[in-house]
Order: sequence, then structure tokens, then C-alpha cells
Amino acid sequence: MSRTIARNVRKTSPTPGKGAEPKLPRAPWRARLAGWRDQHFYSFFSSLGRLAARPWATILTVLVLGFALALPLLFFLVFDNARALSGGLREAREISAFLKPTLDAPAAAALAGELRQRADVAEVLVRTPEQGLAEFRQLSGFGEALDVLKTNPLPSVLVVTPRAQGDVDNPPLVAQLKSDARVDLVQYDAAWRRKLSEILHFAERMVAVIAALLALATLLVIGNTVRMDIQARSEEISVMQLIGASDGFVRRPFLYAGLWYGLLGGVFALLIVGTVEFALAAPLANLSESYGHRFTLHGVDAPSAFAVVLASALLGWLGAFVATARHLAAGMPQE
Amino acid sequence: MIRFDKVGKRYASGHDALSDLSFEVAAGEMVFVTGHSGAGKSTLLKLIGLVERPTRGQVVVNHADLARVRRRSVPHARRGIGMVFQDHRLLTDRTVFDNVALPLLIAGVAREEIGKRVRAALDKVGLLAKEKAAPVTLSSGEQQRVGIARAIVAKPPVIIADEPTGNLDPQLSAEIMALFAEFGQVGTTVLVASHDLMLVRRLGKRVLVLDHGRLIDDFRPQGKPA
Repeated sequence: MSRTIARNVRKTSPTPGKGAEPKLPRAPWRARLAGWRDQHFYSFFSSLGRLAARPWATILTVLVLGFALALPLLFFLVFDNARALSGGLREAREISAFLKPTLDAPAAAALAGELRQRADVAEVLVRTPEQGLAEFRQLSGFGEALDVLKTNPLPSVLVVTPRAQGDVDNPPLVAQLKSDARVDLVQYDAAWRRKLSEILHFAERMVAVIAALLALATLLVIGNTVRMDIQARSEEISVMQLIGASDGFVRRPFLYAGLWYGLLGGVFALLIVGTVEFALAAPLANLSESYGHRFTLHGVDAPSAFAVVLASALLGWLGAFVATARHLAAGMPQE
Repeated sequence: MIRFDKVGKRYASGHDALSDLSFEVAAGEMVFVTGHSGAGKSTLLKLIGLVERPTRGQVVVNHADLARVRRRSVPHARRGIGMVFQDHRLLTDRTVFDNVALPLLIAGVAREEIGKRVRAALDKVGLLAKEKAAPVTLSSGEQQRVGIARAIVAKPPVIIADEPTGNLDPQLSAEIMALFAEFGQVGTTVLVASHDLMLVRRLGKRVLVLDHGRLIDDFRPQGKPA
């Protein structure tokens, strides 16, 4: 190869492309692997050392990251719990028909029988005034007040489950029940349920948007921290580049530093979320108890916690990558 | 080992730092580049170290046409060149040992091998006892010798030095220059830029004299064997 170049040496404008690049003897692959491993050890520990050398700056960065990551996590938890709570409601499609109080039990049963004959009715449940009173007593907590009543003021109720078909928001069954002389009041909440479903959908989207914005903030915080770190070390970087450090070698300690920031920030975010959960657990349990334990708080489970830490570490790495990219070009000859 | 062929360098400002510069340095040869400040010494070294690219002509170092070294390969090409700086540019937050070990770490030399080679390099510059010291605790002469140890530790075929004695007194300067002369004897090509013409003459090595970016003299001082 050297001979080719020697022959070409008189050409003042050598054609670029065909690689006549300087070849230094390369070490065998086993030694190269060991060298590569040593470089990573070096980057790993030197990045940790850099963070430890400025504990306050590091802690401050980690705190900022922790809060930035904890906010979307908390939003998500609130949303997740709200969805679990509403889960039963969203599915329910029953029509409640409150019968005239004057109607006695056999008449109610007769109406139920009529309804069962219909093609668009899947199931009809008759709830007698006695059942209604018992349920009300249990759920409302006004048991003793009810004892004062001499007669049962509640009517019979038919809980009709329609077959899913046609206009779900406004089935003809509802209209017919409403016009029936024996029926006092028809309650059918499909439209309202759909609104709830849409509200939840909107909330879901909002949580996603806020999470994305805060993820971007995380990226910027780490990027900016690493950028300042790079500026403080620009002399060191240029020396390293002059003695033959590749972009990867220069970049690696910063990437590790970004990874550490992200990792620690993620762990701190989980701590914040855990603290919030802990602070809310007792009052929420009381609240839940008064509603007959229909609600339990879902926290962050282990896989999600792992995913959060992993994602924040990746964000840190990415932020550092972006921050280093611009600076590396400076140490290279201008083409 | 180093060949300049009709090399010109014009900076973006329009200033011609080098024009029509041609010379050749053989393997194992030691050459001084002198000239007043602004004569183009530093630019010449920057072209060899791939810090700058020539605007005209061809530079060949280590049998490689530097114009064909793509950006991605610049670090690898630089590993074949040991660089010594006027202000030695040591990393102040690490020990002498770690400073000298850096080129080996960068080249991916295994840890066991690094220790041996760093101590060999420090021994060569007479600083074996200071390996655990911080650079700031050393005298400027010692700091420069650490810089030289760092330049030679990876055994590059070419060493370039930009005013390595610029901040040193004559006694220390002579010692440092003698050190460079030693490397030439073991087959390393050495190119030293220095404005200290008295010192350069005493060493009896080949001298290139630059003036306003042109080569005006290429001579070997008489009286002493090379």
C-alpha cells in the first residue's frame, strides 16, 4: 500500500474515496476485547467519580429529574385508578324501570314476564321493595333513620338487560317502557356512560401528552447538565482527541453520566410516588371502607417500577448523546 | 516518514500560513523546524496532526496520504503520532500514571500491558518515582517530561512537538531536547518546532527554517556529527 502512495505522491489533488488510510498494527482480538472491556470499566468508574466529585450538583439534578418523572407517574396512577373504578360502570347497560308504587308484586312479575317475551330483552330482574330497602340500608348508612319509617316507600324495580342491537344510546325499549302506564320512571345511563368513557379517554390522552412533555424536560435537563459538564471538560476532551481518542471514547463517560442521572432520577421518582401512595393510603382506606370496600388503590407494581427506571436511564443516555454530538465535531479537522 | 509536497494552507481569514512547502523527513530522522513566530511552524505541525487540512498539496505521514483520512479515521491516524505541547496539556485531575496511560487506554491496550508500558515510558523520562503524583505538584520541567512520556508510551512512529521548551530555562531545555534526540536513535521520526535557534544549532540535527510560510533554508549545522 505504501508503494502505491509513493507513486501517487506527485499528484497534487489525490482522488478521495479508495481508502489509503494509515494502518497501524492491530492487536489480536482477545487483547482488543480486553482493551474494550477496560475502556468501559474506565468510562463506568470515571463517570461515577465525576458525579461523586460534585455531590450537590448531582443531587440537585437528580431531584429535578425525580420530580419531573414523578409527576407523569402520579397522573398515570390517578388515571389508572379512576379507570379501574369506572370499569364496572362503563360495561353496564341495564335499564332500571321504577314501577308505580301502587303496583303490587304479582303485577310487577306479570310485567317482567311480558318483557321477557321480547326479542330485544336478554334478562329481567325483579327487585321487590323489601330487597330495595335492604340494599339501601346497607349502602347508605341511614339504617337507623329508615327504622323510623312505618311503611316501605320504595317501589318495585325491574332491572332489564337489553340485547346489544341497534341504537345503544336510545333503544326503542326505553321509549316503550317510559310510555307504559305501570312504569313510573325509567333510568338508562348509556349516554352518560359514554360521556364518562370519553372523559376517561381524554384524561388518558392528557396523561400521555404531559408524560411526553415531562420526558422531553428530563431529556433537556440531562442534556443541559451534560453540556455544562462538557464545557468544564473541554480542555480534557481536546487533549484526548489530539492523542487519538475516538468519538466513542470521548463520549462514553458522558453517556454513562447521563445514564446515571436518569437511573437515579427514576429511582427518586419512584420514591416520591411511593411516599405519595403512603400518605394517601390511610385516608383512602377509610373512604373506601365507607363505600363498602368497592375501591382499592393500585400502586406501581414491580415490572412498572423496573420499566420506569429503565426508561429514565435511557432518557438520560439519549440526553447525553445529543449533548455530546455537537461538541465532538469541534476537535476534528474542518473538511 | 513525513512528506510535504507543494503544501499550502490558507485560513478562512485569507491569511496564507504556508505556501508551496515541500520537504521530506526519513524514518528515524530528527528534524527541527524554526522561524519567527507566525512563520507557520504551528500550522505545519497541525497539518501533520490532522488538526487542520491543507488547502493545496499533499501531506503524507506514516505512509498515508492524509487527504484520504476520513473524519472517522482521524483518531486512528493520530494514534500513530505522539504529540508534545508547549504547555504540556496534562489532565490535572489525574495522576502522572493515569496521564501517561491515557493513549494506551484509548488504543484499547489491556490493563496488564498498560502498567508495564507506562512505567517503561516514565523510566525513560526519569520520572518513575513520581507515577502517583498529581501533575500540579511537579516542576514545569517535570510536567513537560510527563507530556513526553505520554507522547511516546504508545510507541508511535512519529513524534511532533510544538515549542516543547518554550516555558523552560536553558538548562531544562537542553535536557528536554536531548531526550528527543534519544528517540531518534531508536527509529522514531521526531519533528520539533522551536524558535530557540541557539539550542537547535547545538544539537547538530537537520533544521528547516520557515519564513512567512515558505521554506527558506534546510540545513544541518556543521561541527557536530548527527
